[in-house]
Amino acid sequence: MFRKVLVANRGEIALRIIRACRELGVATVAIFSEADRAALHVRLADEAFCVGPGPAARSYLNIPNIISTALITGADALHPGYGFLAENARFAQICADHGITFIGPSPRVIDQMGDKANAKQVMQSAGVPTIPGSGILATLEEAKASAKSIGYPVLLKATAGGGGRGMRAVESERDLGSAFASAQSEAEANFQDGRLYMEKLIVRPRHIEVQILADTRGEVVHLGERDCSIQKPSHQKLIEETPAPNLPADVREELCSVAVRAGQACGYTNAGTLEFLVAAGEIYFMEMNTRIQVEHPVTELIYGVDLVKEQIRIAFGEPLGFGQADLSPHGHAIECRINAEDPERDFAPDAGRVTAVELPGGPGIRVDTHLFAGLSIPPYYDSLLAKIVAVGRTRASALSRMERALAETRIEGVKTTAAICRRILEDARFQEGGVPIDFLDEAFLRGHVLTEA
Amino acid sequence: MTFDDVIESRVRALAEALVREGLEAVSIADGEIEIELSRSPSEPNASPASATEDAAGPGPEYDVLTSDVVGRVRFLRPPVTAGSAIGADRELAFVEALGIRNPVRSRVAGRVAVVYVEEGQAVDYGAPLFAIDRSRV
Repeated sequence: MFRKVLVANRGEIALRIIRACRELGVATVAIFSEADRAALHVRLADEAFCVGPGPAARSYLNIPNIISTALITGADALHPGYGFLAENARFAQICADHGITFIGPSPRVIDQMGDKANAKQVMQSAGVPTIPGSGILATLEEAKASAKSIGYPVLLKATAGGGGRGMRAVESERDLGSAFASAQSEAEANFQDGRLYMEKLIVRPRHIEVQILADTRGEVVHLGERDCSIQKPSHQKLIEETPAPNLPADVREELCSVAVRAGQACGYTNAGTLEFLVAAGEIYFMEMNTRIQVEHPVTELIYGVDLVKEQIRIAFGEPLGFGQADLSPHGHAIECRINAEDPERDFAPDAGRVTAVELPGGPGIRVDTHLFAGLSIPPYYDSLLAKIVAVGRTRASALSRMERALAETRIEGVKTTAAICRRILEDARFQEGGVPIDFLDEAFLRGHVLTEA
Repeated sequence: MTFDDVIESRVRALAEALVREGLEAVSIADGEIEIELSRSPSEPNASPASATEDAAGPGPEYDVLTSDVVGRVRFLRPPVTAGSAIGADRELAFVEALGIRNPVRSRVAGRVAVVYVEEGQAVDYGAPLFAIDRSRV
């Protein structure tokens, strides 16, 4: 096993990695910024090195200081967590060049999956369903022909586009002419490039992703799906659960088998997640995340597998200690992200000193957090404060445990997402299960957030 | 970093919070340690920098040079020691990181008052290396 792992992250995920290492008997080195001197990961690691000032670009993204820390401390592996350098292929290669094992897939695979067009191509050739689309559409006639073969409704997009400009949803051929002209002129005006292409418009999809683990000998297994359809209007996830409620068995089967096939096709190693849109019984690959994800605990709780320990073992070259037949889920798990954010102001991040913290416990509750009373939340980083995870034999029991856990939670000094999570859990449509990704739309927020005060 | 370093860094963070929030006293306790800091309200100019220097000994006449990188300290030959008279912009040592020499230069003329590090010592970002007493040029 590795002698020492450098934990190239902060917050709850740094603690999660330190805990996995301790249980494996592996020493840890924490890195921290000047804004995180008092952070828990600094104290729980065996050693800790300051790598720069508060802003992430000068500390948690400071590759020379991070690599130098690993070399000085004799760390033989590095766990990147999520965010920061976790999906930076160049960084993974630099680690390899310095004889440090990067705990994740190879730089080649990170690079391949990091480029959306490239990833889509790799998936298509592995037989993974992707969102049907066209090449560049030079004329309206080409657009008509493409739309006919893709099937309405379609989404016209500018190749140089961004921020929704040069984008038009088209319901039928009747509307295509005017949409094509206006999207083209908008794209020309905004990007000096009027080229358009087309994708199938997936109407009110669910966001469902599949966890895979792959060892260095080519064994790939899946650990089921996670439904991450409860997203803020910015598409950041807020509540995740597994299994996905009311998902037909054949769709689940297809998602999981496709994910394993995709992992095999790209020569994947370590933990990874394939994100899909699911609508009307059809699945569409969106992207692959080549790292551990925030919401990994829900999977751990129903599969009884420690994903972070598996990542470390796989990176060391150990074979998976189990096959697909050994993996069977038990029960239902759900996670609520408690962020330092103000739901009344478009989830704007809130910084400041946390004056009081009371976290839930009791049967079926797991809390992953770096919070303590007195902690100052720096303004520089992700606003995640705590992940509250509930597990039960059934979805109903997991949900009632979560409601109870959120009621026990008290965090003072900063605004949090705890109350909006409670409102979502109380919602009849959510309780029924299987809501699409626009569930947490403006109408919901208007109805719940603004009436609260 | 040693446990003492961690304690020191927490005291520093707490001192900074004290000043930033304009508080008169603050205390934290978590398991093994309990830290209580207070300041006299008659010190309007208390700042994080002076809090650090007070803890390290030297007064406001001292210019403390810190490391910008994570690396190992290498002294030049002959090494500077406490009491050495130096000019401004004199290279006192370098911090070796990833095979690169990162020179540590004096910013003021004076006498070396404190040498915080030893040859070959691992230092992180912000670690104090030398204090220069500029009142003794």
